[in-house]
Amino acid sequence: MAELTINGSRKELDADTLADVVELLGLGGRPVVAEVNGEVVASEKWAETQVESGMKIELVHFVGGG
Amino acid sequence: MDFEKRSDVRASHAAAGTTEDTWRIGNAEMASRFFLGTGLFPNPFVQNEAIAVSGAEVLTFAIRRVDLESAEDDSILQHLEPGKFRFLPNTSGSRTAEEAVRIARLARASGLSDWIKVEISADERTLLPDPIETLRATEILVKEGFTVLPYISDDPVICRKLEEAGAAAIMPGGAPIGTGLGILNPYNIGLIVEEANVPVIVDAGLGTASDAALAMELGAAAILMNTPVAKAQDPVGMALAMKLAIEGGRLAYLSGRMGKKRYASASSGFDALKVK
Repeated sequence: MAELTINGSRKELDADTLADVVELLGLGGRPVVAEVNGEVVASEKWAETQVESGMKIELVHFVGGG
Repeated sequence: MDFEKRSDVRASHAAAGTTEDTWRIGNAEMASRFFLGTGLFPNPFVQNEAIAVSGAEVLTFAIRRVDLESAEDDSILQHLEPGKFRFLPNTSGSRTAEEAVRIARLARASGLSDWIKVEISADERTLLPDPIETLRATEILVKEGFTVLPYISDDPVICRKLEEAGAAAIMPGGAPIGTGLGILNPYNIGLIVEEANVPVIVDAGLGTASDAALAMELGAAAILMNTPVAKAQDPVGMALAMKLAIEGGRLAYLSGRMGKKRYASASSGFDALKVK
């Protein structure tokens, strides 16, 4: 189990990689961009990006705006 | 642009205001001079219809956290035909250059666009752009290879500095965001256009079609708007009104308006009016 802070909320997830996190949150296949500890991680690298307790993850996407 | 230059443009583009009167940002050649925002529409269907009639080739977006508590996909992209539009994400919500740079990097990581509208608000009441932070963010993002379109106050000096920093276009506001007050300082917008060597896009504060026409008559290359269309009683009708006003204003600019006079001058000559 990894204890992560995702979009400001604490979550405990049974995840080894960033790709697992995105899947477990039900965001697989959606146009989401990820940032881990302040650094953008390209989606091609999600599967090789290990997650561990204490990491801060931000998941963002495009919404309506001017 | 001086009159001779305008005449050249007119001569080489007999159909000014139509698809033959194209313009560029970086390598992108565009026919439409209407950038449309995607916020505040009553629903995705009305929004898509408004986008279609507007003829817009460039759509703007914001970047926000995914709502992890909601299973629904609230991403704006699911409603749009893939590949049809160029995307201009903004850095709204940022208050410093560093925050804007972070949002810009996230936006680029989407793989959808390396264009970025730098929008850094100094306070929530006016949402006026912070010129110093905007200049700093523009300098950083230009170095990182972004195509930077800063939203900025209608001040000719800061506009010049943004151009010197490498902005691909300058986007002065007509009035504060979402106010619909129109162009509060046409003199400044005219001066910015006169001095700029990159496209000037009037962004924010417009309310109705005559505001868009005025911006184009002042020589703006394009208009960016969202609220006046999205919050009209009939957004689709207003999108078309804006498109036509932009084309009309553009054609008036290229055609060179008559000078203003203080007193009347009869179109048929005064003598012709006399009954002898």
